[in-house]
Amino acid sequence: MTRPPNRPPLAVRIYGALLGRLLPRKLREEFADEMTLVFADLQREAARAGGGRGVWAGFVALVRELPGLVRLTIRERRDSAATHAGIAHLDERSGIVLDSLMQDLRYAARSLRRSPGFTLVAVLTLALGVGANTAIFSVIDGVLLRPLPYLEPDRLIAVGEGTMGGSPTDMSSTSPGSFFDWRRQTNKVRLAGYSPTQGTVTGGGDPEHLSGLTAIGGLFEVLGVRPLLGRPLVESDETPAEEPVIVLGHPAWRRFYGEDSAAVGRLLTLNGTSRLIVGVMPPGFRFPDADAEFWIPARFDAGFRGNRDQYFIRTIGRLAPGATIDQARNELVAIGDGLRRDWPMYNSNLSINARPLRDTIVGDVRARLLVLMGAVAFVLLITCANLGNLLLARASVRRHEMAVRRALGAGRARVARQLLTESLVLAVAGGAAGLLAGKAFLSLLLAAQTTTNLPRAHAIALDHRVLLFTLGISLAAGIMFGMFPAWQLGRAHASEALRTGARTIAGRQWARNVLVVSQLALAMVLLSGAGLLLRSFALLQGVDPGFTGGRILTFDVALRESNFDFFPETLERIRAIPGVRSAATVSQFPITGRGVGAWFNRLDRPLPAGVTPPGEAYRVVTPEYFETIGLPLRRGRLLGTEDRRERPGVVINEALARKHYAGEEPVGREIYLGAPDNRLFERATIVGVVGDTRDAGLGSDPLPTVYIPLAVMPWWRFSSYVIRTAGPAVEVAAAARAVIREADPGLAIRNVRTLDDVLAESVAPARWSMTLLGVFAAVALVMATLGVFGVLSFVVTQRTRELGICIALGAAPGTVRRMVVGQGLRLIAAGVVLGLAGALALTRLMEGLLYGVPSTDPVTYAGVAAVLVGIAVVASYFPARRATRIDPMMALRSE
Amino acid sequence: MPARRDGGPRPLTTPVFQILLSLVDQELHGYAIIQDIARRTGGEIRLTASTLYAAVKRLLDTGWIDEPPRRPRTDRDDPRRRYYRLTALGRDAARAEALRLERLAGMARAKRLLAPLRASSTTRRQ
Repeated sequence: MTRPPNRPPLAVRIYGALLGRLLPRKLREEFADEMTLVFADLQREAARAGGGRGVWAGFVALVRELPGLVRLTIRERRDSAATHAGIAHLDERSGIVLDSLMQDLRYAARSLRRSPGFTLVAVLTLALGVGANTAIFSVIDGVLLRPLPYLEPDRLIAVGEGTMGGSPTDMSSTSPGSFFDWRRQTNKVRLAGYSPTQGTVTGGGDPEHLSGLTAIGGLFEVLGVRPLLGRPLVESDETPAEEPVIVLGHPAWRRFYGEDSAAVGRLLTLNGTSRLIVGVMPPGFRFPDADAEFWIPARFDAGFRGNRDQYFIRTIGRLAPGATIDQARNELVAIGDGLRRDWPMYNSNLSINARPLRDTIVGDVRARLLVLMGAVAFVLLITCANLGNLLLARASVRRHEMAVRRALGAGRARVARQLLTESLVLAVAGGAAGLLAGKAFLSLLLAAQTTTNLPRAHAIALDHRVLLFTLGISLAAGIMFGMFPAWQLGRAHASEALRTGARTIAGRQWARNVLVVSQLALAMVLLSGAGLLLRSFALLQGVDPGFTGGRILTFDVALRESNFDFFPETLERIRAIPGVRSAATVSQFPITGRGVGAWFNRLDRPLPAGVTPPGEAYRVVTPEYFETIGLPLRRGRLLGTEDRRERPGVVINEALARKHYAGEEPVGREIYLGAPDNRLFERATIVGVVGDTRDAGLGSDPLPTVYIPLAVMPWWRFSSYVIRTAGPAVEVAAAARAVIREADPGLAIRNVRTLDDVLAESVAPARWSMTLLGVFAAVALVMATLGVFGVLSFVVTQRTRELGICIALGAAPGTVRRMVVGQGLRLIAAGVVLGLAGALALTRLMEGLLYGVPSTDPVTYAGVAAVLVGIAVVASYFPARRATRIDPMMALRSE
Repeated sequence: MPARRDGGPRPLTTPVFQILLSLVDQELHGYAIIQDIARRTGGEIRLTASTLYAAVKRLLDTGWIDEPPRRPRTDRDDPRRRYYRLTALGRDAARAEALRLERLAGMARAKRLLAPLRASSTTRRQ
């Protein structure tokens, strides 16, 4: 967010505007400019002390100014009124309005000070509601609402492969051949590609392992971003004859060159290749995510540009001027039709999908966040209902006061305005407290890894957009809960309320009932949502990952070049570490993702020509992998040292057997993976079948998988070590790392974790949603309970006389108790029924977050309703008990 | 208030007294006054723009401070800033307040609430 340099910060502008409105003219002309100047100085000083959080510092400085400013205004206005009394210095109508506004404000402040208990409860309640909203809105604003940091981000789309009849949101990678076909044939959109890559930088101290990106087909031109220094990559860099170049991200530039602008033009050694640094990107630039620290041009030779069986290119596009995404989509569909015809072997099932780039970046997080935003909105509504109730109770106490004001000539509107002013003062105070609560809550949220793992989490900040939002909802809340008493009191007849002992409260009671019922209903909805998530989470935690697990340590190693001996040799040394039971490698640790895949071909049942084979996942393992992780053998045998490249044997899992060998015996059949002219191995025999694992995450179905021995794929470079230990897994971590470092000091060891860490990480997003919604639901429950308690206590107080008569006439305590509880139960029942209806309608929206429970799960609803009813009945029991203790004589005499 | 029966000076408010103190030996503009006070009090008293000018207005009205006819020359001068200086009246008022405070401190000392004044302790306080 850059500001034109000459425009003063927001807080200074606000302060200047306040001075212009509040100060009397003379004072304003004399001092306003100078005061603004001094305030700007103070604000700058505060911002410097606060480490550059300018907006926040400005807000704090502004709040600090307010008491002094209000005092100054009141004093000077009074003085100037006294000076000019008799001269009728009333040239400014705004002055009169302002005087009566100041009067209202003063009166409101005084009246709130008189009842500190009420004020405190109201401000704290509001702070809770507003704070929750502020924090969640900050997250939503950063992740969902802010525009992407590229030129005209709304014109950017993501393009990817899907299957005919499959989901239109599939965005699979494509092959170079297809990519360049698409690019040539589109007019409505300019396409570019990228592919994540890794690199080790050497030559300056310790080697450092970085994530980066290969840019294909002019990526930076499509993004439309300017570098901080030098130039971006251009498409001509992708010609193999050109000098190899690289563009660095800001963090890498700072680490390697200490922000020295002379870095551009120097050479950097990446994966052993010397590259010319041509540009440095600005600090805020991220593509596709914060991981990528460098960008290099792809260098495909003519042959590889036509490759159609290596799917690794992700595609984005910028819509041509005037073109819409629908036009681009239609064009891509037509291109897909052509490709299916021209290359049936590769594309028999192809469809090309397109959607806004932002949607693919935000992905499934949107639903998660919107559910939370809905939940905090509910919390705020409940807060408002609670405050409305508090104010109504207060209003009935102040009937007399208001009636006097009416009788003394205050118009209905004036009284209503006074009451509304009070609510707004409360709302602003609550909003300010809510801002602090929101800041605290947000820092709690950001302390959770799941929050920082959200896409675009770096853009989450409590800035002026959030401040505006907070101010807006605080005022809206103030108006909402202030409406009830203002409306009710404004309506009351002046004469009626002045009569002593007026007991007609029926008019007010229904409003309070409505508020309590809506509180209960809202709480019911929130509790149902939280209950469903809780059950999902419990089910998710109970999911059998498919292997025995236990004490397992894992970490990832990526070799810089193929080295067949590296993994077996290091494994041998790791096995020698005391406390290690067994050790193996796998190309990707289970539960952490699908990993790589290839076309699956049965040699005993070749596909007809022109049909694209199904792609299946494969994992490259050392033979000990299955025993180490505890994966059970179902048929045949496990891999052994005899399964080498010359005579490969592979193992498949049950999901693959079910899919491709239904009703057949898979063991003994022959397969190959890959395209006919580009195979991972020539042919291999299936020697065994093992159990399924949930590789794509605990909540996902097992994927059909082929396990290939590392010995069959000697060029393999990326592996996760899997080490089963006797004692706690972390104890061998240091020794295991030492083994790797000793074998090759230049290798980066990443993601050192225990199996428990991996499992916890897999359910972390579910845990996050569940915890947050659970907290909000608990708040809702507490407030609804207080609401029930408050209303019934009020009823008992108001009906003291009536209940006293009942008792005097011989009503048993049980009868009286039942009467009061019965009244409570009617409210509770109404709330629960309404809430149930609301929950059934709304929880459908969170189906994507649930695992193993339907959104209409009767057990959850019954449980939640029972909890709510139980607690609400307890809340109504106490007022009921008080009712039975009414002394009839006292009650009758009291008026 | 019994304190005023003898016709002695009314106690000054903290901002007023601090502003007078800042201007005893120098002519300053608004922001410099705030900074000077904050520095002298170790950050304990930090005036806001509104409290500063509320006091400045009163001080100008009572004639305890005024604007010097010529601006002091500083390296970073901003023509929009106004400088203020202490008048003879203001100096008297500040001195009277300081004496009042000293009298109060003396009373506290006489009751042994504060340690008795010694030469070393005053130098240390500098």
